[in-house]
Amino acid sequence: MAELMVALGLFGDAVVSGLIAALMVIVNILPGSISDAFQYAFMQRALLTSVLVGAICGILSCYVVLKRWSLLGDAISHAVLPGVAIAYLLGWPFFIGAFITGALTSVGIGAIERHTRIKSDAAMGLMFTGAFALGIVIISKIASSTHLMHILFGNVLGVQQSALLLTLVASVIALLVVWLAYRPLLLYAFDPQQAQALGFNTSVIHYGLILLLTLTIVASLETVGIILVVAMLITPGATAHLLTDRFKTMMLISVSVGVSSAVIGLWLSVVLDVASGGTIVLVATSWFFVALLFSPKHGVLIRQWRRWRMS
Amino acid sequence: MATTFGDASVAVDIKGLYAAYQRHPVLEDINLQFPAGKWTAIVGPNGAGKSTLFHVLTGSMKPLRGSVRAFGEPISAHRKAGHIAYMAQREAIEWDFPVSVWETVMGGRYGHMRHDPLWRRLLPSRWYAPRHAEAVREALKAVDMLGLAERPIGALSGGQKKRVLLARALAQQASILLLDEPLAGVDPPSERLILNVLAREREAGRTVIMVTHDMPGARRHVDHVVLINRFIRGVGTPNDMLSDAKLAELAVSSIEQSANDMKVAEATSYMAAQG
Repeated sequence: MAELMVALGLFGDAVVSGLIAALMVIVNILPGSISDAFQYAFMQRALLTSVLVGAICGILSCYVVLKRWSLLGDAISHAVLPGVAIAYLLGWPFFIGAFITGALTSVGIGAIERHTRIKSDAAMGLMFTGAFALGIVIISKIASSTHLMHILFGNVLGVQQSALLLTLVASVIALLVVWLAYRPLLLYAFDPQQAQALGFNTSVIHYGLILLLTLTIVASLETVGIILVVAMLITPGATAHLLTDRFKTMMLISVSVGVSSAVIGLWLSVVLDVASGGTIVLVATSWFFVALLFSPKHGVLIRQWRRWRMS
Repeated sequence: MATTFGDASVAVDIKGLYAAYQRHPVLEDINLQFPAGKWTAIVGPNGAGKSTLFHVLTGSMKPLRGSVRAFGEPISAHRKAGHIAYMAQREAIEWDFPVSVWETVMGGRYGHMRHDPLWRRLLPSRWYAPRHAEAVREALKAVDMLGLAERPIGALSGGQKKRVLLARALAQQASILLLDEPLAGVDPPSERLILNVLAREREAGRTVIMVTHDMPGARRHVDHVVLINRFIRGVGTPNDMLSDAKLAELAVSSIEQSANDMKVAEATSYMAAQG
């Protein structure tokens, strides 16, 4: 068993090195003024983490936007905090704790929604603020405020090999699930009652999607942090939704927006010496406003132009 | 009452069904049999529990009590086998969802695709099995929408949206068609087309069950009518059930019911006997 873990660890390290080498080939094509920043090992780890996080957030973002789960994403991301704190207390890897409290909270929200007269927005609001408060209280007792800041707002430049491996595994799982369950997920997002009538187990799909969301959030923790991860789960999908009427194209655009925001944001944050999580989100937000203005079908400018031509 | 389990002439058999939203009763003591190969209209005022009945049939709502069987087996088995097609109301769908008409109608095939081998399912559906694409093409042709197959669903008119939803149900090639207000808010040509398509489906031996407010259409086409308002209020031929007197009675029942939860004498269905 122990040997297996060691072998898996070595395999993971090898995959990471390979991916970093591949990324560096692309980076080194760029002019020296850009590529110079990526010559350090910690920057290369940050780059790979950002690319992976941008990609899986981009994928999940399509479902979050189309299923109107933005607030749920926000709720789960906040609910992850006590899990991180408790894992720290018990000496567990933080992502296990994060995953457990994130999943518990989403199940709790569903239960309150279904069995009481409380509506879903209030159920989410009260569950995630409660969980978040618990996390703050525990952390204030056991850790420094810098530690708290890193969890809340990310610390991509300090990403360790273990966190990078976790992000890699989460990305592979997310990709596989979305590929293998493409049709049930699409049908469930589009028309859950039809999925039910066709005999699909919609509870399994529902909670599967929520677990996937939780996994993505946990994997993105170190890059953009708990508070800002929800931006990466909304903005790429919303941007893509403005640009296309095809689901697969939407996913491609969303992943492109996620990855490009993460990479450009990372580079800008180093060059300008500002917070990386915030910069990444700002780049994504800029993409959204560009799409909002210039989208050929649903953009503001084209609509104004049409209105002007009509009158 | 004679038990009819296993009887091929009964498509859907509902026994002792009670359903409620948050302890507020919506359907009570529903005993109902839908004859196979016939076209049945379910008629009742708003809030009478018609859509709830469909939610129970499609499995998206669990009844408090009662059993629902199709062709003598639990209906869930038929759902899994893709025998139950459902056409939602237009309002139940997010029309700005980024899918084309073709992809939407292909959704009716997803249940059948589960029985294909896994490696095939990983290919795009257009190529991997001609029979699915063929079913979609036929369904689109039947509702006269083949020319708009690549159009995003958000760019359709109201009548076209209805026809796409109908095509999705047709593409499933199911034995039981459940249609929630297929004629609501459609233009006259679309209405004629939908009624003709459904008549053809019945001729092909399928069981058609629709909720409708369209009395002239129902009078002209359907074989059976179920009047419902929380309880079954009547089961019979369109001539008997859709008479002005009967419909007035149904309307009064809803007023009485909202005024005070009167206990109304239980109505038992005798549809199968008549079918």
